Amino acid sequence: MSKNIIHAFFLPLFLLLIVLPILALVVNLDKEGIQKTIIDPFFWSSVKNTILAAILAAGLALVVSIGFAYYHLFHKQSLVYKMANLFNDLPIALPHTVAGLALLLAFGRKTMGFLGETGAAFTLFAVIIAMFFVSYALAARALISGVDQMEPEVIDVARTLGDNPVQVYFKVVLPLMGEALFSGFVLAFSRSLSEFAAVIMFGGNLPGRTQVLASYVFTKVEVGDLDMAVTAAVFCVALSCLILSMLIVGRHRYAKS
Amino acid sequence: MLKAEGICKRYGNQIVLQQANIELDSEIKALIGINGGGKSTFLKIIAGIVREDQGKVYINGRQVNNLPPEQRKIGYVPQYPALFQHLSAEENVLYGARKNREASQDFYEQVTSILGLTEVLRKRPHELSGGYKSRVSLARALLPQPHILLMDEPLSGMDIIIRKKVLPVFRQVLKKIQIPVLYVTHDPEEAELMADSYAAMNYGEIRLVVSAAEAFEAIQNRHGPL
Repeated sequence: MSKNIIHAFFLPLFLLLIVLPILALVVNLDKEGIQKTIIDPFFWSSVKNTILAAILAAGLALVVSIGFAYYHLFHKQSLVYKMANLFNDLPIALPHTVAGLALLLAFGRKTMGFLGETGAAFTLFAVIIAMFFVSYALAARALISGVDQMEPEVIDVARTLGDNPVQVYFKVVLPLMGEALFSGFVLAFSRSLSEFAAVIMFGGNLPGRTQVLASYVFTKVEVGDLDMAVTAAVFCVALSCLILSMLIVGRHRYAKS
Repeated sequence: MLKAEGICKRYGNQIVLQQANIELDSEIKALIGINGGGKSTFLKIIAGIVREDQGKVYINGRQVNNLPPEQRKIGYVPQYPALFQHLSAEENVLYGARKNREASQDFYEQVTSILGLTEVLRKRPHELSGGYKSRVSLARALLPQPHILLMDEPLSGMDIIIRKKVLPVFRQVLKKIQIPVLYVTHDPEEAELMADSYAAMNYGEIRLVVSAAEAFEAIQNRHGPL
């Protein structure tokens, strides 16, 4: 009985709310839109900005997550850990316009910024920071999950063999966390690719300079070039599929090894 | 030499160790107790992995309570081999001795030879059988030449045939290098094969006994503190 109920609601809702919107993009793809988009230099600069900024943001997210996971493993009772843990998931819960505004106030051009005038706003650097802000928590979660799966005995033995916690972390824990590091990077990268609100508020939407794929699609819809928006959107879908495939293949490889 | 006195530990309301004492000279002492009786916690306190609530630990006459595990010069062989999977067997063995590799070359050859590891040193941990993993684990703990060795049921996951094959090899190497060993087990046969002296642990207390049989009688007949 309960099995039939699940059959009855799962597939229709999944098809209607997940598959149909993606299909809607693909079926609206037309030749003219593709031709116009692939010769648009701003499309390619937005692709370049997106990939470059997402890679750097995910790399930064991974570096900070490595630090957080260290505290999670060795200093759970410390004030630093408790404070970081409190703030860690906040960027996920915040509306991303709020994240963008917060970054603008902290690092923006106005003197009310926390650090005063940094000149960071509306640059590619701002795009990277905005992407990092919204993607860091995903990388941190992946790494925490990785360290939680470590056999405690491995760490205990390394300590008795003369390593302090930092040495254990870099020489034993991180080399054994390949899958978590890979997942953390890919998750942060894919989240960065999809970010729009925080990026547009802090980095702006300057074609050729700070415009990313998400803001390119938004701009094209806004000016009525729907066919170009659809082409760029399908490109995004293809890029996301590629990343998810990498994630699946990577996890499969680590599972085998 | 190891001396632990008045060791107490509780987790919440549960008392794990209650005034536990032990002394160990150049001998292999089996610490025998039921599962969940506090044996592993006791070893981890001696190793500095777990913090005691009360009590003192001396190694070679020096109080080490405030020292982290990496400064206690203790060898630790846990229940599972816990080999570093990203390193070869040889790299695992040399992990703790890497800082004075030349000085310990002879010792390295002696230990690996007695433990029969020469043929498998280039293999990765996942290519080794359970018996060889435990041999590598022991060699790795011995190479830094610790003052004492703690072994926490190192063969518990293996069948009796493998244990009977590996135990004499373990005893041979430990006697050869004359290191004090505290060997935790709940298997009477294993204790008899390995140890020179015996202690029984029950409900967080330790009592010296003359034989493994007496230790098992003590822990099986008591349903409360010794």
